Amino acid sequence: MIVLLTGMLATAVLAGGVLALAALGEVLAERVGVTNLGVEGLMALGAVTAVITVFSVHSPWLGLLAAITVGALGGMVFAFGAVVMRANQVLCGLATTFMGLGLSTALGHNYAGQPVDAIFGHVNIPLLSAIPVIGPALFGQNILIIPIYVLLPLLVHFVMFRTRHGLNMRAVGENPAAADAAGIPVMAMRFWYVTLGGAFAGMAGGYLTLTYVPVWSEGMVAGRGWIALALVIFAGYRPIIVTLSALLFGLVTALSFVGQAHNWPIDPAFLNMLPYLGTMAFIIVPVVVWHRMRRIMAAPAALAQPYYRDVR
Amino acid sequence: MATRAFQRLPTAPAGRILTLRLVAIIVSLFIIAGVLALAGHSPLMLAQLIVHSTLGSRFGLEDLALFMCPLLLTGAAVTVCGTIGLWNIGAEGQFYAGAIAATGVALGLHGPTLVILPLMTIAGILGGMAWIAVPTLARAYAGVNEIITTLLLNFIASLLTYYLTTGPWRDRISGAQVSTQRISVSIPEMWGIVHWGFPVAILIVIGLALMLSRTRWGYEIRIGGANPEAARYAGIPVRLRIISVMLLSGGLAGLAGMFEVAGTVHRLQGGMANNFGYLGIVVAVLARGSCLNVIPAALLMALILDSGIVMQTQQLSASVILAITGLILFMIAIGDELAHYRPVAKVAAGGKTS
Repeated sequence: MIVLLTGMLATAVLAGGVLALAALGEVLAERVGVTNLGVEGLMALGAVTAVITVFSVHSPWLGLLAAITVGALGGMVFAFGAVVMRANQVLCGLATTFMGLGLSTALGHNYAGQPVDAIFGHVNIPLLSAIPVIGPALFGQNILIIPIYVLLPLLVHFVMFRTRHGLNMRAVGENPAAADAAGIPVMAMRFWYVTLGGAFAGMAGGYLTLTYVPVWSEGMVAGRGWIALALVIFAGYRPIIVTLSALLFGLVTALSFVGQAHNWPIDPAFLNMLPYLGTMAFIIVPVVVWHRMRRIMAAPAALAQPYYRDVR
Repeated sequence: MATRAFQRLPTAPAGRILTLRLVAIIVSLFIIAGVLALAGHSPLMLAQLIVHSTLGSRFGLEDLALFMCPLLLTGAAVTVCGTIGLWNIGAEGQFYAGAIAATGVALGLHGPTLVILPLMTIAGILGGMAWIAVPTLARAYAGVNEIITTLLLNFIASLLTYYLTTGPWRDRISGAQVSTQRISVSIPEMWGIVHWGFPVAILIVIGLALMLSRTRWGYEIRIGGANPEAARYAGIPVRLRIISVMLLSGGLAGLAGMFEVAGTVHRLQGGMANNFGYLGIVVAVLARGSCLNVIPAALLMALILDSGIVMQTQQLSASVILAITGLILFMIAIGDELAHYRPVAKVAAGGKTS
């Protein structure tokens, strides 16, 4: 039982990391009032970039850096359309996803199916990794786990809720006209936070191919970007809750692995549906069960609305 | 500094939109040509080849019609949903659900085509409706974002198709991978390989356009989309209208799946939706909320898909088409926004309005 639990938690932490990164990036973008539906495409670009880079330089760190850079560039392209040109955010996001998925498949054509040779290996942090059950999961896996689950969410939370800059940032997402009147650069704020969100999505893709599934194949992101978007809504646009829900979500994924490993009498196709069904339940059930949830977890008031200074 | 400034209009004139879209498409084509040239292909030769084998040959035209058929229906599905201000990103899943339901009827029942085909049609429509039912209720009664819920169901539908075509419904006769056996009934063909589903799809789109513009139901939907608060105040049952529109949308996408099974592919296959559901979003965007515009929009999209076949013969991956579609969609989104701006001749000092 302990062995099963340890294994499941380890898988959950590993699988949830992809979602935690992507969702945290999306929290940044949505808090300044921009919905980036391009996460799925940016993740695919990040994933393929990491693989291609590692094949030529054999360093997972450089691979991850390349994935982050490409994600940020993709985020900039999206932000150029959705923030600078103020085009429809849903369309720009879908277009970014199409471009990202198409480009990544075209670029990764020659690398498909080849195992990545340099990935982030296991690192055992002394003492901490000896804690039963949670030790191996949190401190006995790759080096990125702690930054993803602890450092980045705390940092984002601190900046967003404990600094003046964070207050400005949230003001841009809630009431850009008032923020503008107070002298906050609305457009710059939106542009750079969307770019940063893109970098997170690219990093999530890189993390995917450099730790969890170290091989590129078409369609390997498999809707994780969309699940991340759903987690952001579920977590009420809060950085720490979104990270915890990504972990919860990793558990759902782990459940389907455990099911396959233990030959549960359920077809793998149905076990593979669990993450998607789980996400549906995540975003529908809380609102139905507890109506006040809708107000507490409300989206930033100006979400998905382009800001025009001269239109009132 | 600025001698000319621009003023943003709440609605853009149609002529300006058309012009800017043409510009957007031309800009996209130049970018694509540049990338292809960098990758060592000759864009001019490719363009010639594409025009020749899509519009210039009988086979190309037949393929064009076959691509248009599902795009008309999925495009209409996204368009009607958009009329009330909602995004149906799940046409892909509803397409699969319709295809699964129709195949189920064809595999399970035996009888004359005249009986089975209508049953398949009904099953296809109901399949699509069933697939959008949960997002519909969640949207109407709990205000849950329909973009995410409809989209997530796409993955489930695709997995379900995979399960059926490799499990209980797998092809036991020819042993084809991820496919059911050939179904015995099919929609009759009218011109080469083009089946009667194509004219029917066009009629459906025209019928929808009339329904939306000429009936009380259509009027209420349009008001509900333009201003839900005003609609509620005027006594329009917005919740019921949302339910009816979303179910209609799912049914249309399901019908597209049924047409594809019974008219083109003749079996249920993994991956048979071929992104038609997602491309339906592009068609709907191009159509700008008007059902009649879905016809030229689907034609344009079918042309792009058709040229994708040519590009595949030139050692270009099929996924390039998805990237190209994305680029064109991106440019058009920007072009549509720019169409809202009107140059203002004279402007006060510091009138930087952009």
